[in-house]
Amino acid sequence: MEYVDSLTGFRLDGRRPNDMRQIRGEIGVVAKADGSALFEMGNTKVIAAIYGPREVQNKGQQANNQALVRCEYSMANFSTGDRTRRPKGDRRSTEISLVIRQTMEACILTHLMPHSQVILIEFLVHILLKFFMYFLPKICFLQIDIFVQVLQADGGTRSACINAATLALADAGIPMRDIVTSCSAGYLSSTPLLDLNYIEDSAGGPDVTVGILAKTDKVTLLQMDAKLPMDIFENVMQLAIEGCKAIAHYIRGVLLENTKQLECRRGI
Amino acid sequence: MVGLSAGEKHFIYGGIAQDLRTDGRQRLHYRPISVEIGVIPQANGSSRVRLGATDVIVSIKAELGRPSSLHPDKGKVAIFIDCSPTAAPMFEGRGGEELSSELSLALQRCLLGGRSGAGAGIDLSSLVIVEGKVCWDLYIDGLVVSSDGNLLDALAAAIKVALCNTGIPKTTVNLGASPNDQPDVDVSDEEFLQFDTSGVPVIVTLTKVGRHYIVDATSEEESQMSSAVSISVNRHGQICGLTKRGGAGLDPSVILDMISVAKHVGEQLMSSLDSEIAAAEASAEDQ
Amino acid sequence: MTTMQRELRLSLNQTQRVRLQSALQQLEEMTSLASAITVVADTIPVNHEDSILKGHGTSDLNGEVVATLCGVVERVNKLVYVRAQRARYKPEVGDIIVGRVIEVAPKRWRLEINFSQDAVLMLSSMNLPDGLQRRRTAVDELNMRSIFVENDVICAEVRGFQHDGSLHLQARSQKYGKLERGMLLTVPAYLVKRRKQHFHHLENYGVDLILGSNGFIWVGEHVDMNGENHILADQVSREDMADKSCVGQVTQEVHERITPLEIRTHICRVANSVRVLSALGFNLTVEVIVDTVEASISLNTDIKDILAAEFYVQTAEREVQRRVSLSRKKG
Repeated sequence: MEYVDSLTGFRLDGRRPNDMRQIRGEIGVVAKADGSALFEMGNTKVIAAIYGPREVQNKGQQANNQALVRCEYSMANFSTGDRTRRPKGDRRSTEISLVIRQTMEACILTHLMPHSQVILIEFLVHILLKFFMYFLPKICFLQIDIFVQVLQADGGTRSACINAATLALADAGIPMRDIVTSCSAGYLSSTPLLDLNYIEDSAGGPDVTVGILAKTDKVTLLQMDAKLPMDIFENVMQLAIEGCKAIAHYIRGVLLENTKQLECRRGI
Repeated sequence: MVGLSAGEKHFIYGGIAQDLRTDGRQRLHYRPISVEIGVIPQANGSSRVRLGATDVIVSIKAELGRPSSLHPDKGKVAIFIDCSPTAAPMFEGRGGEELSSELSLALQRCLLGGRSGAGAGIDLSSLVIVEGKVCWDLYIDGLVVSSDGNLLDALAAAIKVALCNTGIPKTTVNLGASPNDQPDVDVSDEEFLQFDTSGVPVIVTLTKVGRHYIVDATSEEESQMSSAVSISVNRHGQICGLTKRGGAGLDPSVILDMISVAKHVGEQLMSSLDSEIAAAEASAEDQ
Repeated sequence: MTTMQRELRLSLNQTQRVRLQSALQQLEEMTSLASAITVVADTIPVNHEDSILKGHGTSDLNGEVVATLCGVVERVNKLVYVRAQRARYKPEVGDIIVGRVIEVAPKRWRLEINFSQDAVLMLSSMNLPDGLQRRRTAVDELNMRSIFVENDVICAEVRGFQHDGSLHLQARSQKYGKLERGMLLTVPAYLVKRRKQHFHHLENYGVDLILGSNGFIWVGEHVDMNGENHILADQVSREDMADKSCVGQVTQEVHERITPLEIRTHICRVANSVRVLSALGFNLTVEVIVDTVEASISLNTDIKDILAAEFYVQTAEREVQRRVSLSRKKG
């Protein structure tokens, strides 16, 4: 099957090899959550909801001196083209939950909400201004729950989940060291392709998913299946990183607009 | 679910007795319903219904299948509800299973009729293609995205709206050489038949708090209930199904009264749903 | 520009949508964002020559000050910090808050107050029912449940953080204590500003309005600050109820104590006004809330219609007018 038309250079859905699908992010879709967001990449639609930081429910899970980050990934029955009933806790869901958790954990400043460490430092600058200095060795355990729900899956679901989770964490006011974004890229018909959809993903070619910390320019997630020669791999990875940066730019715009709106409405 | 203090419970209770609930509604008043159609483009029909902070998505997919040997002239419908952990942390892992199966069963009971298929709100015989051999299997999948009480009514309304939005592809049947062969069915990509939803009922849940019943309870009010009766009513005012939840006993006369109240409220709910569907379809066409 | 409806999802018709957009546009133009808006990972411009203290919401990256939250950059002398919006409540000593009891522990109650951890109210920080100033005995400990049980709503003041990191509250004054005969609303904490007064008795309506700095807002029937009598009376009626062993059933006394309908309508009106203002994202001050309630009465809006599309749009337009006139007075 021709994934890239040899004459026009267009892909099956009319995109060019370096084109990403239409992306859209919306903040505040689940009223009861502390933070929530919807992220769409083409036909892939994902909702992320954050509950926390709150006290740890299951003390047995508390490991080290940091806030516990938990993640659960679920796919709706109707999310894929052929409707299947997925049992909860199947291996793919568990794997993706783990991947998202590790990626987000790397960027959440968990040490700011720890056990037995200083968390808040606000300095007394001027008595009239009534600021206080707290040294707070804390003995309570905190957890942050990230729930990701896939409404429509059309390739690139784990990337969409990570992007949605970033938006939701920012919405919840949880301190992060950077914006994490993710994008996938592949190699079909001898061309590196950015942001694979489901058809391209199931073509059997390699699928490289990259997650980066946008500002510090560091790769935090890298996954690939299938084989690729090293030099082509570098191109494909670079392409995915470009995609991540473009998404980071968009996400920053969404957050900026949202923050501005909230502040304007609030008034004085 | 946050607990409520004795004082707050008393306040809610008093409000219901005085016909003025905490958000200003009367006892038999629904929250504003907002409806979207076609939210899942790859499905045959889909809808999203918001009732206050309750948010549910329903998707309907039609696949070819074989009718059961007991009912060779009817298609099959299956309803599955899933409670997403985004709605509440307690739904994570298997926490939402109990509620999901309770909702699925209640909806099946109200919409699909008895075991013989009699009295189904959805006309199953319209789903058959070749009697005894090929029929449409309708999979109705519901997802609770956000929960603030009254999930059953919201899901039933979403199913009704999704069915209005459902297009069953037209089929042309090429019969095989012998009657025992599986016929070859061509499924059209272009032409769709709109599903007939005139018989589809809505569900009205009446929650009994003290001596009065309320419609469309929020999760706060639901925590106060002694019992709840969910009644599915169709356009002709007929009862299509009934479920009672909650441990407290009800006098039979009370149940009869609830049924008549449900019929009355069901009419209003249906007409407001119809106007919402019309508005949603109009705006979808504009786009 | 989206209308950003989080809690109230309203279907607005075309005219309403246009009116709302224009009102929000005007609000945006009016706000002078002298303080900068920042997003996660943005660099905060600082003068590197001054010794800058990096406060909450900032971190150091290669010598640059970088934001870790989305919000507004505040600069106070040498301190630079980011004020986040929808984050959890950040307690400060002296704040008046409303909380809900989640646990009765030995010599203390644990309260949920929309902070990342639960707050503690010690038995010694509470007035005793008999009003005497004395040491708490073992009998007092056993009788803790006669004062507050689980799920009770309590108004208290933030005392401070203790050495072990827990947040302590105190409720020694008569004005603090259990809140009954009303309802509790939750709004984002950033919408409630710290003012001198948090207790408001709306005399026209006979309604008590308590704006907890943590975003918990109590709207209820007015209660005279009889303090001890109130708690004592409660104890007496509770014993009566226990004697008659009618848990969950309605007794004669409870019937008599149901909030009268007129006050209830006012309570519901105030509560709905708070909900609309919180959905629109406007600061919650008693003036704005009372304005909204009065507007709803003068427009003859049904209480439940306060949460409907038309009043939502009108409230936004009213807020524009209010801010315009405020800025005129200042200018």
